[in-house]
Amino acid sequence: MRGRGASALPLLAPFGIGIALLLVVPALITFGYAFTDHTGFGTPRFSGLGNLRRAFEDPLAAAALRASVLFALLAVPIRLLVAVGAGIALARPRRGARLGRVLVYLPTVIPDVALALVFLWVFNPLYGPVNGVLGAFGLPQPVWLSTAWGARWAIVIMMAFPIGEAFLVTLAARRSLPAETYEAAAVDGASAWQQLRHVTLPQLAPLLVLLAVRDTILSLQVNFVPAYVLTDGGPDAATLFLPVYIFDQAFEFLGFGYGAMLTLVLFVVTGVLITIQALLARRWGWLR
Amino acid sequence: MRRALPRLLLAAVALLYASPLLLMVSGSLRGRGLPPPRGVEILPGSPTLDAYATIAEVLPLATYGRNSLVVAALAVPLTVLVGSLAGFGIRLLPPRATRWALAATVGALLVPVTAVWATRFELFRLAGAVDTFVPLVGLALVATSPFLVLVYAFAFWQLPDEQLEAAALDGAGPLRLWWSIGLPQARAATLAVVVLAFTFHWSNFIDPLLYLNRQSLFTAPLGLRLLQQLNPTDWPLLMAGAVLTTLPPVAVFLLGQRAFLGDEGLLATAGRWRR
Repeated sequence: MRGRGASALPLLAPFGIGIALLLVVPALITFGYAFTDHTGFGTPRFSGLGNLRRAFEDPLAAAALRASVLFALLAVPIRLLVAVGAGIALARPRRGARLGRVLVYLPTVIPDVALALVFLWVFNPLYGPVNGVLGAFGLPQPVWLSTAWGARWAIVIMMAFPIGEAFLVTLAARRSLPAETYEAAAVDGASAWQQLRHVTLPQLAPLLVLLAVRDTILSLQVNFVPAYVLTDGGPDAATLFLPVYIFDQAFEFLGFGYGAMLTLVLFVVTGVLITIQALLARRWGWLR
Repeated sequence: MRRALPRLLLAAVALLYASPLLLMVSGSLRGRGLPPPRGVEILPGSPTLDAYATIAEVLPLATYGRNSLVVAALAVPLTVLVGSLAGFGIRLLPPRATRWALAATVGALLVPVTAVWATRFELFRLAGAVDTFVPLVGLALVATSPFLVLVYAFAFWQLPDEQLEAAALDGAGPLRLWWSIGLPQARAATLAVVVLAFTFHWSNFIDPLLYLNRQSLFTAPLGLRLLQQLNPTDWPLLMAGAVLTTLPPVAVFLLGQRAFLGDEGLLATAGRWRR
């Protein structure tokens, strides 16, 4: 069908304009602001690498970077394990599977402020049910939100729940695998575990890498609400994730320029983490 | 035995994932001002709707809910429009261009929102749109999330070339193809996009927080945050607010889940499932 490409363009126009106006242009301006002293008002003045120097000397920026990277290292594996594991296990049409899918997806549709409030409550030392359950089993009852590691884990645990997107993608991908391969494997006497290990995972590998990349980015940027509601960055900046700090700088302290530079730093850190993932994936033969 | 263990584990995970909602509801039924429970309390001893009765006296939650509904009522149809047009446009592109368009869409998914917070805010301020719903509804221009464009592209992928070519030979333009062939055959995708877009817009916290100053414009999640700031330790009241804020998206999700979680529908058509 010659000429079909040209006629498709009007359909793509609204989305293309949206991407340009709401994503590309703001991202480019952010890049420019990183090298200015912009406050959000008036005309920005060029300040070279001043913001970067400031970031290197800012102990809170270092703490925020550490908190963000630690969070991604803890949260991404847990989130992916649940999303991919449940996605593969629940893909088959069998009794109870749809109920299982609905329940696994359910926390994703809870507004994150509401979800954060629930976790604020369950980790509460006096009223919260988590320590009640732990106590009932004679297990240690950690102090959740007012110690550094307690607060980190509380947010990691909360963020292990809204995993719907990766779960959906895994469900769809698992279902698009040809049934013939499984029949052949079953004829060869492969157990369920062997089928998972030698048929499912290798075929899903490139997609899993993409999910890991997407989730790394999400984990570095969407932990704003839990940190904002649950811990307010504390205690001692243990959960002062970069997005929270950037938000404070840009909107509370009028440091648009400095916030933009921190955004660039976050961008570079994300790039490094993603590159490491891609290199590992290639080394393990997951990507060609 | 070897089959029972994985199923048991799966059931445990499913139950665990239901627990936030269950805890929210049970917490909201506790009497206000009671001392902490001794041990584990699955349902409070004497459940009461007291907290729900009080909440309307504390905050105009109904107004906030209505605002959220207004935003969703504008943004969701616009999302369906933009997303389905883009998804169909990608389907009509020649194969090489399709790959580029899909790569660009995935790329858009990978741009961190922090990179555009402040500057997007400046653009909307320049346009005089601060303290209006425009920035919230405007997200529909990027189909709310590029992920939803991918959902549509995936659904339209399954339209046979011959059908599109036959209609094009009959003189149907791209818009006509989208309306009379694309959309009717992607109903499941549309339902899924409606559910996903509704939950996003209803739950959106960061954009209302940035753009809305007047309390009369607050959306439900902002109202819930305000409730928390006013009564930081009144747990039954907070849980009741959380339940009310969570109810609409959960209801929409339960009504539409078949479209993307069912055995048939959007995703099942991709792989002819044979057991």
